[in-house]
Amino acid sequence: MAEDLVLDTAIRDWVLIPLSVVMVLIGVLRYFVSKLMKGSSQIPDPKIVKEGQVIIRARNLRAGANYIPAKSFRARKAYYSNEENGLLHVPKGQAANPQAQMFSDPNMAMDMMKKNLSMIIPQTLTFAWVNFFFSGFVAAKIPFPLTQRFRAMLQNGIDLSTVDVSYVSSRSWYFLNLFGLRGLFSLILGEENATDDTQRMMQMSGFGMDPSKTLGAEKDGLDIVQHDWVLPKFEQRAESVLRKLVK
Amino acid sequence: MQNNMKVILYSRTFMAIIGGVIAGILGLTSLTGFIFYFLVMAMTSVALTAKAKFSIHSYFDSWNRILLDGFFGGLMSFVLFWTFAYDIVHIF
Repeated sequence: MAEDLVLDTAIRDWVLIPLSVVMVLIGVLRYFVSKLMKGSSQIPDPKIVKEGQVIIRARNLRAGANYIPAKSFRARKAYYSNEENGLLHVPKGQAANPQAQMFSDPNMAMDMMKKNLSMIIPQTLTFAWVNFFFSGFVAAKIPFPLTQRFRAMLQNGIDLSTVDVSYVSSRSWYFLNLFGLRGLFSLILGEENATDDTQRMMQMSGFGMDPSKTLGAEKDGLDIVQHDWVLPKFEQRAESVLRKLVK
Repeated sequence: MQNNMKVILYSRTFMAIIGGVIAGILGLTSLTGFIFYFLVMAMTSVALTAKAKFSIHSYFDSWNRILLDGFFGGLMSFVLFWTFAYDIVHIF
């Protein structure tokens, strides 16, 4: 019975295709608007950048520790993890509370607001628009069967229990588009758009992080490095490699 | 490394979209469609392996990268374009 449902071709021309096209265009628009809003206001705090660089340098030292003599390594280690004035040493009580810092800096809060707004406003607008113009259409049919549980998800806006579940209302087609077009955006707009969400997530969790903690962790890592200079053993290694080649 | 990952993600998404459109035009339904998706993904994996000249470890750190990366992200795009093409061609 449900198979016999005939859909008007006008629905295709005036609901299905416009809806999809509009979704794509709005995605593109949002990308450029958020790019515009980002602008040049991204001047990072020099102190934070400095700390990040110090951490990278310490990490490099840890990775390449075996390629420098023991004396040089000790000197560099002291430079980083000295208890009085090492670069990685953070005096107790001086570490600022990042939460408080965030609230005291209105710029940061504004930035967050902007990002979230550029995300939420187009979505609510499109949803309202879809709701207003296209409510109550059976817009599409999914080519695979689903269980009854999906009815609420896919036939949002149609209250007919006899229609087969694989028919999709226009409002739900909107949601399908919302999730499915992410891949397309990453193709046509470049990588940044696709990673935007995850990046935002990272940033959110990064706010609660204490920079002094990463410094401390790096210091501990540097402290437990077992220094073992490889140069004295190089001749033996070279010898074995050459012998193998000669054979 | 990073670039290689990006290339894989791109090719997967692209193949998912193209595969979705093809599946829709062919009029595949239910299980056949998903099997088609698996076939397309397997084909992509083989093609990527061939592109890397069958020496995965000089370009990636493990097999999982080339086989599974972007698999589920592609599924959403596939379903969308499958439905879209199928509706346009067969339903109306």
